[in-house]
Amino acid sequence: MTSAVELQGLSKTFQLSSGWGRRRVRRDVVAVDGISLDVPAGQAVAFIGPNGAGKSTTIKMLTGILHPSAGEARVLGYTPWKERRALVRHIGAVFGQRSQLWYHLPPRDTFELLARIYSLDRASYTRRRDMLIERFGLAPFLETAVRKLSLGQRMRAEVAASLLHAPRVLFLDEPTIGLDVIARQELRDLILEWNRDEGLTVFLTSHDAGDIERVARRVIVINHGRVVLDDKVSALRRQYLGSKILSVKFHAPVQPLVLPGVTTLKAAEYALKLEVDTRVAPIEQVMAAVLRAGSVADIAIEDPPLEEVIAHIYAQAPAGAG
Amino acid sequence: MIQATRKYSWIALTAARSNLAYLSEVATRALFLAVILYIFLRLWQVTYGETGAERLGGLSLPQMLWYLAMTEALTLSAPRVAAEVDQDVRTGALAVQLIRPLDYPLARLWTTLGERVVRFGLNTGVGAALALLMVGPIAFSPGGLLLFALALPLAFTLEFMGQFLIGLAAFWLEDTSGLMLIYSRITMILGGMLIPLELFPPAAQPALRALPFSSIIYGPARMFVHPDAAFLADLLLRQGLAIVLLALAVALVYRAGLRRIHSNGG
Repeated sequence: MTSAVELQGLSKTFQLSSGWGRRRVRRDVVAVDGISLDVPAGQAVAFIGPNGAGKSTTIKMLTGILHPSAGEARVLGYTPWKERRALVRHIGAVFGQRSQLWYHLPPRDTFELLARIYSLDRASYTRRRDMLIERFGLAPFLETAVRKLSLGQRMRAEVAASLLHAPRVLFLDEPTIGLDVIARQELRDLILEWNRDEGLTVFLTSHDAGDIERVARRVIVINHGRVVLDDKVSALRRQYLGSKILSVKFHAPVQPLVLPGVTTLKAAEYALKLEVDTRVAPIEQVMAAVLRAGSVADIAIEDPPLEEVIAHIYAQAPAGAG
Repeated sequence: MIQATRKYSWIALTAARSNLAYLSEVATRALFLAVILYIFLRLWQVTYGETGAERLGGLSLPQMLWYLAMTEALTLSAPRVAAEVDQDVRTGALAVQLIRPLDYPLARLWTTLGERVVRFGLNTGVGAALALLMVGPIAFSPGGLLLFALALPLAFTLEFMGQFLIGLAAFWLEDTSGLMLIYSRITMILGGMLIPLELFPPAAQPALRALPFSSIIYGPARMFVHPDAAFLADLLLRQGLAIVLLALAVALVYRAGLRRIHSNGG
């Protein structure tokens, strides 16, 4: 499979200076520290990390805004900072907190302008616009000034606008920030649909575990400018924490369960919520112990919430990262 | 080339349409214009009365009021380019603009031209109505109006470049609003917004004409009340020269700003 985004030892060091005259002190701050990765075309990747981890710096280098201190990067075969003008015709970007729609005009007017900005051929533009209007459900508010739209409607129009020129890679920075549950879900589904149906490579930055879980198949965690984890989203919980949450309801009161590798998160008279470290205590062994403890009315095995997993990863030292 | 023309003219058109949404602002400007023009009418009536002159600086009283209506319409139609560019630099919006196949200074220029045409059109309408009401019509001819219209695009571009440079100063300065205040006041005073250049001390006039400020306000307003092909040719030459010099300055400063974005991320 061809690569959409390739990074080889990409680094960025900022020089910060403070003070005046002889007291002026310069110091180097390493924002990105030798990141290497390969994103195949058509993959949806969540690129996450705590604030100041180097996410934005990396995205700015991949879009040609920022020049790296060392290393190489190719996006769709272009070196972003050398061939920015050629590259920008093939990439799209959505910044949750920055709009490209004209505030006082309806979304249709921004679409018309974007068609000219990207020099789209009229027939293919009309076809694509109409398809986006239909798939994103924009028709009811296409002629309404953007300032009168709800945030959910606005973000749908925003993403549709960024797809108008048929980009092959879409960078999304916090696209669901501020959206309600339904609008968030709708937007995630649309991005996912586009990724699956159109083979769009998605590079998503978000602090929302739901975005990562729903949209991405692969998650890359960076911290202190380095990749600390690069894995499938589905494997993230299992491999990284190796724990399960076991919620049990009993018909009669039970005693707390004491087993190595099992932590009681919550204990009520008729119920227990346990965190099981499956590397120490296999889940079937814990289940057997639970069934022995009392008459079980209901039982549920869940993965720990992704937020917790991510928080756990962020808290780790970047040792052995690459 | 054709595609670039389509792209940037469409930006101007979109900006013009977007600007029509600010109707309340238009109404406020119209009110402000009415007050200013009334005050100046009274002042100039006294001045013409006291001096007993038919013409001052070559202009009759009605021409003087129409001149003022035009200088005010020009001044009040200037979009807040410096403040917007300043914000683009500070918030990183300028850096994000680089992800689109657009040249930022050109996109800004055409946005400003689009906005300005709407604002200037509305201001001129209000100013002309007020001048008609206060002193009646002066002699206009289609040819004269055409000469006047020719002086406008370069005046707007020149004004844009001054403000754009001030906005770009945000790369290095904490606050550019002070610079903008100085620039706008100098444009008003030395540009002939209140008094035509002919009424300044004769010794100062060559210097004032050589400065770009008079090409932004005085020149076009003078063409409006007193169309003159030779004056226009001289004005276009001055405007063209100032634009070439300022374009060089914009290119240098913008490139330095871009270097900061490329090394700091904006």
